[in-house]
Amino acid sequence: MNAKRLLHKDGTWAAILLLPNILGFFIFTLFPVAASFLLSFTSWDMLQPIQWVGLQNYTELFRDEIFVKVFWNTLYFSAVTVPSGIVISLLLAVALDQGIKGIKFYRAAYFLPVISSMVAVAVVWQWIYNPEYGVLNYFLGLIGIDGPSWLTSTVWAMPAVMITSIWKGLGFNMLIFLAGLQSIPDSYYEAADIDGARRIDKFRYVTVPLLSPTTFFVTVMSFIGSFQVFDSVFLMTQGGPARSTSVIVHYLYENAFKYFRMGYASSMAYVLFFMVLIITLIQFWRQKKWGVY
Amino acid sequence: MKRLGWILAFVLLFSVLLAGCGGSGGTANTSGNDNSQDSGVGDAAGGPDKAVTLKFMGWEASPLETESVKNGLKAFMEKYPNIKVEYTPVPGAQYSSKLLTMLAGNAAPDVFFLGSTDYRAFRERGVLLDLTPQFGAEFSVDDFIPSAAHIMQIDGKVFGVSSCTVSPVLYYNKSLFDKAGVPYPPSDPAKAWTWREFVDNAKKLTVKNGDKVDQYGAYGFENFYMTVAQIYSNGGQLFNEDGTKMSINSPEAKEVLQAILDLRKKEGAAPEAKMLENIGMRPAQMLQTGKVAMLIDGSWALQELAQMNFPVGVGVLPKFKEPATHGQAHVHAAWANTKHPKEAWELIKFLSSEEYQIQLIKEGLWMPNRKSLYTEEGIARWYNDKVHPEGFKDMVSYFNDAKEYPFALIRQSKVNDIITEEMDKFWYADQTADKTVENIESRANVELAK
Repeated sequence: MNAKRLLHKDGTWAAILLLPNILGFFIFTLFPVAASFLLSFTSWDMLQPIQWVGLQNYTELFRDEIFVKVFWNTLYFSAVTVPSGIVISLLLAVALDQGIKGIKFYRAAYFLPVISSMVAVAVVWQWIYNPEYGVLNYFLGLIGIDGPSWLTSTVWAMPAVMITSIWKGLGFNMLIFLAGLQSIPDSYYEAADIDGARRIDKFRYVTVPLLSPTTFFVTVMSFIGSFQVFDSVFLMTQGGPARSTSVIVHYLYENAFKYFRMGYASSMAYVLFFMVLIITLIQFWRQKKWGVY
Repeated sequence: MKRLGWILAFVLLFSVLLAGCGGSGGTANTSGNDNSQDSGVGDAAGGPDKAVTLKFMGWEASPLETESVKNGLKAFMEKYPNIKVEYTPVPGAQYSSKLLTMLAGNAAPDVFFLGSTDYRAFRERGVLLDLTPQFGAEFSVDDFIPSAAHIMQIDGKVFGVSSCTVSPVLYYNKSLFDKAGVPYPPSDPAKAWTWREFVDNAKKLTVKNGDKVDQYGAYGFENFYMTVAQIYSNGGQLFNEDGTKMSINSPEAKEVLQAILDLRKKEGAAPEAKMLENIGMRPAQMLQTGKVAMLIDGSWALQELAQMNFPVGVGVLPKFKEPATHGQAHVHAAWANTKHPKEAWELIKFLSSEEYQIQLIKEGLWMPNRKSLYTEEGIARWYNDKVHPEGFKDMVSYFNDAKEYPFALIRQSKVNDIITEEMDKFWYADQTADKTVENIESRANVELAK
């Protein structure tokens, strides 16, 4: 086979044209991913030579009480933010799928947090949560509730971070749900009308099932996002008080860039990776079982 | 056929990738060697005229500091026309991780600020240039105040030169004191208020409006940086002599923790830490706007406070047994792999000079780390009545005698985080003082043993 003939093949051209992209993927994604996997079996402080330590990082992880704590914190964060985020954004999407006046304004308003910088969002929410001058406790006070000191309480700091995260991510999920809603043909609703279905029935038996591919996508993406939460924690509480809001990625960051422990941090990244993988596989399996419309 | 095309593409890709890596690594090494040889030859020939560019990195404690650094560098470059200094200020919070990454990437600045609490950890990893001989030829450790001298030396060697010193002090808003008829806190350490006097006065300065507190007596002790000074004042310690074990589990330390907590919880004279900061107010602004009457903060805050147009005073911290504070400051260090060690030292020498230090002391940001600047003539060289409040001269011995900031003497930054975590439980989650110091001791000892 000669080079000339090879050049005339479509596959060859495709490969050549894709090369810049593939190259970028290899250098900036695959290589670091593979390198951090190898690093997770080493002890490395970035400055001194790398030492191979086998599985030691992984065994240490589960004896490290801080890691165990941040592990549960991460699960807690996901278990609350993912379901409630999905339910609220679905309801919002349904509400904003009507022909209300100024609908575009509302949609834009709910999407605004998604495009705002987390730094600005964190500052605003710190004000809102302020126990003495914040609006949240002011409103709670109006209905007779003595609000906690949100960000300095080991019990309430995590819910506070969760609320902000849900609020921030709402618009994005809402947008995807809206697209999903608009792809449901009107004829189904008309058929349901003829059968005498009430609004709630239509939602339950037409909208929810037909939206399941969208819900699936949103759920998987939300889980992945929630496991990787970092910015809201880092900006609002720095993981405190008493590590009550510290999550895996936050502790990973501390190990890598504060305690000089790259290998240990990498092993955390891989534990996180497998957590996400397992959750995603469960989602796929569930999806298969329930069926997709 | 198609598959062959793909395989070919991959082989090509990998060869390019590998060649790329190897190539760049190789070049970096050779160029490094070349340059070091060059400068070696230059040194030997004594030719100082070769133009050299030094990279210098620091953080920005305040825009005014950056301005002062730049002014200083201008003077330096006039003195050494062959050395050009490129200064990069970096936001403080990311400073050490940025420096670490640059060191790892073999692209570190030649000269840099290094926080006193990072100094020993970085030294241990061999990235700092040993400055002992150069330092010995120009300076004497004995000319430095004890805290600076102690922190700067690691096993008798110097890898970074102390920049200045800073310590926790007590600031107060004079008009609030006048209104309440409370005497100003003393600035002479010998006359320091006892803790009891401090609490009584803080209560007098607390103004309530119904259930709401409009003005708190004091703010700041719940920040552990300040707490440490009070533990020292009560004769307590954080670590043992050689920094290998915690020794915080003592009645002295526990008494201090409880007293500070009581100031807020029992006496209601202090706000919850972070509360006011969460509304975007800096501690200095709390003092200015009368949210607090006394503020415990680092001595560097004087620079900002002196420009805020309200009657600010500075005094010593209240004492438990002895008046005490602690001192530390960043060091100026050079990268072990710098290509221009000689010029880097010239810059560090300049940054360590009294002249350079004095311009920042005059602004209120720094305090001197030289004994010679604490004598009467020495004080006259930096005292600035536009910045330093009345009575400031009475308290200079406070800085001179400050104990070493204990976290500057250990290598494990995780210890600080463990203490923060346990102290959070104490301040916010009702963990007892006994349990808190026990937990700190048992958890931190594991880290200290590493």
